[in-house]
Amino acid sequence: MPSPISPEIWPARDYSRVPYRLYHDAALYEEEQKKIFRGPVWFVLGFEAEVPNVGDYRATQIGDTPVVFSRNEDGTVRAFVNRCAHRGAEVVRYPSGNAKDFTCIYHAWCYKLDGDLVGVPFRRGANGAGGMPKEFNLKDHNLTKIRVRIWKGIVFGTYAAEGEVEDLETYLGPLMCEHVGDLMRKPIKILGYQRQRVAANWKLYHENIRDAYHGSLLHEFNRTFGMSRLTQVAGGYMDDKHRHSILFQYAGSDSDEVARAAYAENGVQRGDYMTLNDYGITRHFVENKLGISTRIISVFPNIFFHQIYNTLAMRQLRTLGPGEFELVWTLFGYEDDTPELTQHRLNQANMVGPAGLISMEDGEALEMVQRSTQPDTDKAGVVEMGGIGEIRSLDTRAQEVTIRGFWAYYSQLMGLEPAGAQR
Amino acid sequence: MNLELQAQVSAFVLRTAVLVDGDELETWLDCFHENSSYMVVPRENLEAGYGIGLMRCDSKAQLQDRVAVLRHASKFNPHWDRHILSGTAITSAPQDGVVSTSTAFMVVQTQLNGTSSLFCSGSYEDEIEVGAEPRLRKRLVVLDTFTVSNCLATPL
Repeated sequence: MPSPISPEIWPARDYSRVPYRLYHDAALYEEEQKKIFRGPVWFVLGFEAEVPNVGDYRATQIGDTPVVFSRNEDGTVRAFVNRCAHRGAEVVRYPSGNAKDFTCIYHAWCYKLDGDLVGVPFRRGANGAGGMPKEFNLKDHNLTKIRVRIWKGIVFGTYAAEGEVEDLETYLGPLMCEHVGDLMRKPIKILGYQRQRVAANWKLYHENIRDAYHGSLLHEFNRTFGMSRLTQVAGGYMDDKHRHSILFQYAGSDSDEVARAAYAENGVQRGDYMTLNDYGITRHFVENKLGISTRIISVFPNIFFHQIYNTLAMRQLRTLGPGEFELVWTLFGYEDDTPELTQHRLNQANMVGPAGLISMEDGEALEMVQRSTQPDTDKAGVVEMGGIGEIRSLDTRAQEVTIRGFWAYYSQLMGLEPAGAQR
Repeated sequence: MNLELQAQVSAFVLRTAVLVDGDELETWLDCFHENSSYMVVPRENLEAGYGIGLMRCDSKAQLQDRVAVLRHASKFNPHWDRHILSGTAITSAPQDGVVSTSTAFMVVQTQLNGTSSLFCSGSYEDEIEVGAEPRLRKRLVVLDTFTVSNCLATPL
């Protein structure tokens, strides 16, 4: 079924209106799987630190396709689609582990760690009868392989052949190389996972991540304790293609007094400000030389990195149909962290994830949007904060231009760019 | 079996769940000893030996802060919870007045539109100071349902 959506869907060429249909259309979702998640992109599978030893594997999902990455005998990381070439069963059934080979339970077809088919039981038949045809060649039935590149301990993958996608550093661009590179500046240590399922379209999460405006309005903890406020020195930057983005700020660059007056003036704060018994959770030990206290980074198409004070995480988005996605948060520290710093990171993780004091609200906000936009897919949302027209990086959080940047790049990839569009 | 002890810990664990379901979180806090911890840990982390939890309160002060933030600053899906508990199994004999217990639970969550669904299943791995007024020294909530639907706002 071809999608009924065409470039004419956009009411404004600067993406300052976002048609609700984009969150609901099932045929569009199918096209996104092909053109984005299997398109000319580098997606992220996970961290090298998750598969340190030969045979270590981890199952994940790219778009809605089950994928596995593993440490091969030669020490390299390999990845393949988790689907037996024979009858299509999942070959790897556990979320992670260590294996000598991958054997499908259905008919025991056996693959090497790199995904090559090496065994087909009763290939020559039984008692001289049956079996595979003579021309059956194992080499033609390997698992579908994904091209892998490791960059600073991150396992990137692509379905695109060389030449069909830029090389990885070019794809990331200087902005991502700087900030993601800084987060990955030394060997990491995995601290654990948090997962949540949100009944909303996956693109709403991309918008949410790029939405500088909501950070201190929806998340009251942020403005109360100054983790993120519109009165701080902050910004929202994108690469030249607006493919990736970063929102950042400097805590302590405003005063409680000025901030509280500004929020009161705008009718936001009602009632008294709360206090805590234990302020340990709001402590920030500056670790990066830029002094940035919070960075929320979007690496198109499936990964978000964050540094919120001393919590570090990669959030992987997995699509589950037009109306649902899963978010898997991988929290990490560094191998050379002191036990005290590790403890602080574990403690500060209370702020993030599905139970996070500054993040639990996002799931609910997106589910509300998904529910209420469904009956009126011919209408559109408004994205004008920070100005309309040109799409550019701004040194403020009172903006949502970065959201328009997402749609500009999305539309190019999807072939939905209207004539005369902003890029 | 020490029936008196069994009755005491069973009634106490049930009370902690009823208080959460009744949104009496301030009274629920009284069920915790001054030196206590409360953690909600996804099963996948526990099995892998990872320290990350969804809620991780190493002290009662932090747990009080959790409740305070929930009351004053958090926005989430307004809902009612119902904890359905198994029996409480005593897993170690009392030592210095503290027993270890294990209680399986399911939480059915009802939204404002009147629909209910299974929100999660898991177990309380508790250390309970027994006596006239039992207190939790430690509650580890093992979350079998380790991918959370929407968000986990109220404690389990």
